[in-house]
Formats: sequence, structure tokens, C-alpha cells
Amino acid sequence: MKELEEMRGPLTTVMRDVFDDEALVLHPEMTAADVENWDSLTHINLITAVERKFKVKFTTAEVMSLKNVGELANLIHGKRTAQS
Amino acid sequence: VSFTSVEFLLWLLALALLYRVCPERLRFGFFLASGYLYYFSAGLLAVALLTGVTVLTFVVGLSLERNRARKIGSLGLPIAIIVLTAYLLLFKVEGAIHPQGVGKWIMPLGLSYYTFKLISYVLDVYWGKMPAQRRLVSFLAYVAFFPQIVAGPIQRPDDFFAQRPQPGAMFPAFARIAWGLAKKLLIADQLAPAVEYSFSHIAAPHAPLWIGFYLCALQLYADFSGLTDIAIGAGLLFGIRGPENFNRPFTASTIADYWRRWHMSLTNWMTDYVFTPLRMATRTAGNAGLAFSISINMIAIGLWHGLTRGYFVFGVLHSVFVSTDALTSRWRKSWFKKHPDWNPVGTWLGWLLTFHLVALALLFWRARSVSDATSFLRNMLTGLGRESAGLGQLDYQTRHSLFLGLAGCLILELCERYRPERWLRDMYENGPRFVRWSIYGSTAIIMLFGIALLVASGGGSKNPFAYAIF
Repeated sequence: MKELEEMRGPLTTVMRDVFDDEALVLHPEMTAADVENWDSLTHINLITAVERKFKVKFTTAEVMSLKNVGELANLIHGKRTAQS
Repeated sequence: VSFTSVEFLLWLLALALLYRVCPERLRFGFFLASGYLYYFSAGLLAVALLTGVTVLTFVVGLSLERNRARKIGSLGLPIAIIVLTAYLLLFKVEGAIHPQGVGKWIMPLGLSYYTFKLISYVLDVYWGKMPAQRRLVSFLAYVAFFPQIVAGPIQRPDDFFAQRPQPGAMFPAFARIAWGLAKKLLIADQLAPAVEYSFSHIAAPHAPLWIGFYLCALQLYADFSGLTDIAIGAGLLFGIRGPENFNRPFTASTIADYWRRWHMSLTNWMTDYVFTPLRMATRTAGNAGLAFSISINMIAIGLWHGLTRGYFVFGVLHSVFVSTDALTSRWRKSWFKKHPDWNPVGTWLGWLLTFHLVALALLFWRARSVSDATSFLRNMLTGLGRESAGLGQLDYQTRHSLFLGLAGCLILELCERYRPERWLRDMYENGPRFVRWSIYGSTAIIMLFGIALLVASGGGSKNPFAYAIF
């Protein structure tokens, strides 16, 4: 999961802020069920915060097929590689 | 055939035994045959419509997958969504024009549930969440799976097809069914006369209206969650675990939490296919976008039940409640973080407020019209303290069953809190042989008890399930 390692710092900052949890430690298999404040409302807050931080744009289909934090990192990585 | 009839239990038992000798490769065929056999009670036209829309969705699914790369290929998606939504709305509009059922068309059984299964399938295939189904038999079997066709739960296609159907253990399945029957017959049907009384005496201020206000929610919960228990239990007999619909909804201390615990299969469906796409489209619009997405979502939940003013007001009220909750959530959380001593007070107040808001919205869901609901509310508030007769107005039979139902509610809450079925299952799986045999014995007793209950209630419940009409 080198994609997650590459962006662990900034992604942790974003997720700690969105879910209001300073102790959050990311791992690739992490899902909404593992984080207290991660629900359907905060999920889109996370998506917009990630979009702003990493300067990428997601589609609804991409957001709907995400299964865990590892896949989110992969998606961000793929978008940024395509941009550069 | 009603889920609370002796015939249904016998049909289930016969199918479960037959299923045990059914070869593995024919199991979806078995579901298809039993589903359609069951569905024939809805009439030939309903069967033809069900088959037609299912086959259409199956074909669209295949074409979406085949043409994924090509732009023109995704045209099937809007066409399928429009056709399925129009099909659903056609009967809903007809139901709104002819509410007494005197209209020309009768809504096909389970329409609101199976069209939602179909819509989620085309979207999931389009979004790449799951591959398209290649076997028509399996797909027809999924949509017409008889435990779920009358009133859900709305099982997602990826969840259904991820399971390998095996004959399930009889004990947990029948225990779940008996539990559902008990909720329906011993709680919901016992509370029904008192609730019915208050909803049919709304013209004057009097105390029993308060009984209706508080008990309507409990009655509906026992009724609908009982129905879901029977559906899930029946699915377990065939090795299909349906999604849970309830998770102790009245313990919620915020309205958003309530919706995560009430009719979960519908709420989750709406979250994925209505709220999330809307919220994605409005994500740059800040709080206004959030409130807009929540409102459309909650109104859609209301109107899913039917196109009436009452369901609309129900949706509007919940959109106000949920939006307020969402917009103040961060502020409330940080306040309680700074004042931890107030946490228990906040939880209790939140719990009380949530229950009252839910009960308030349910008045509009339940009453015959919006004006009935408002006069119920007005007379309930003005009747407070003016009339002390209270329960005296109910006849003996109604009062008797009311207390029985309330005692049932208490037992229900205790069981859901302490989950005795868990240690029972643990004993069944790990205990010595005599324990297992006594559990087999008690399963037989539970079944006999269930049948006795059905016979005693005059061959099943006189009140149809509240959620079996959508």
C-alpha cells in the first residue's frame, strides 16, 4: 500500500479534522464502521476536503465504489498521476 | 398467503424440507419457482408485470456492462431508471387518485420493494460495484425471493449474490419467525385497539389521544419489525441472510441516529441512491446544499409510502428535524466535549426529544388526512388536564389488551437489550449433546406455540401488516 504511505501525512490531517478525532491512525482496510463520526453526512465532507487538499475531482460513481481508506488513497494517487 | 397464517408456516416447513434434497445447482431455480408460486396469489397481471420489469432490468444490466467503455452504452441507465421510476409512480399516482382501491388498477404486491431492488441493480452495475448477472434464472429468483417480496427487507443485489445458498439450521430460523409472530400477535395486535380508538376519536379533546400518540410508534415498531423477523427467519431456512431493518430505534438520542436504526434497508438505499448523488452534486454549495439534499431525501422517504399529503408532511417534518440535527451537530459535539458533565443530561434530553419528534411525524403518517392529524394534535394538547377519565373511556377488552401489549413492549426491550438468543446459540453450538437435544425440543415447542398462537387468534392476525401494502 505505497499509495497510502505516500500521502499518509496530509490524508491523516484531513481525516482527523473532518471526523474531529486527533487520535485517528489510518490503515488501508479502515472503513466507516471503524471511525465514530464517519457516516453518510460526514462522508461527503471528507470527499470535499480531500478534493480541496489534493486538488482532484471525484465522480459519484467513484465515490460510490470506494470500499476503504486504501482504495481512497489509490484513487487520489491515480488522479494525481493522470494530472501530472 | 399472510405471513401470520398457519398455511404460511406449513408452506415454509414443506419448502424447507424440500430444499434439503434440492441439488445445489438447482437452488436458484428453487427460489424462482417458490417465489413465483407464492406471487401467483397477487394475480396473473401482477406476475406478468413483475416478470416484464425484471427481464428488462436484466437485459439493461448486461448491455451496461458490455458497453461500459462506450458513451452510447450508458444510455441504458437513464432509460432503465426512467422506466422503473415511471412504473412505480404510475401505481402510486393511481393509488393517490383512488385511495379506496376502487380504481381500475390494483398496485402489484410488493411493488415499492422490488422496483427498489431493480433500480439499485442497474446503478450498481453502472457504477461498477458489481458485475452484471449472467443467469436470468438467478436474477428472477433474487427479485422474486418470496420472504422479501411482500415487505422487504430491501436486500442489495451484491449482498444477495455474494451468498452461497445452503439449507440453513432450522432452530435459529424458526426461533426468529416465532419471535416475529410474537411481536405481531402479542404486542402490535394488542396495542392496535387502543391506538385505533384514539385515531377514530379525534374530534374532541380527551386524554386517550395521548395513548395513541405514544403507542402508535410502539405498535408500528412491533408490527413492522415482527414482519421483518419473519422475512429474515424464512430467508435463513434457505441460507439467505437478509439485511436487518431495525436496531432498537427508540434508544436513539438524535434524529439522525434514529434513521440509522429504523427501516434501515430503506434508509440505506435512499442514502446510497438519492442522498449521496445529490450531496455530491451540491457539495460546493455548503450548508444550503446539505439541507437541500437531506430535504429531498427525507421527502422521498415519505412519498415512497404513497403520494398522499400525510406522507409528504411526514417527509417535510423529518427533513426539518434531520437538517437541524446535521447543521448543529458539530457545534453540539464540541459543546459536550467541553462540558463532559452534561453528557448524560444531553443523552436523556436527546432521547426524549427524538422520541417525541418521531411520534409527532408519525401522526401525519398514520392519520387518514393532514387535517385529521392536526385536529388529533390540537385536541391532544387541549385535552391535557381537562379530562381525567383517561383510560376509563376505553372498554374492558381494549384496556386489557393494552396492558398485555405494554407488558410485551417491556419484554421486547429487555430481550433486545440483553439478547438471550446469543447465549442460546452459544449453548447450541458448544454445549453437550443433551443441551442440543433440549434445544431441538424447545424448537418444536416454539413451533407448536406459534401454531397455537395463530389458531387462538382465529387463524392469523386480523390486522394486516402495516408495511405489507407498499
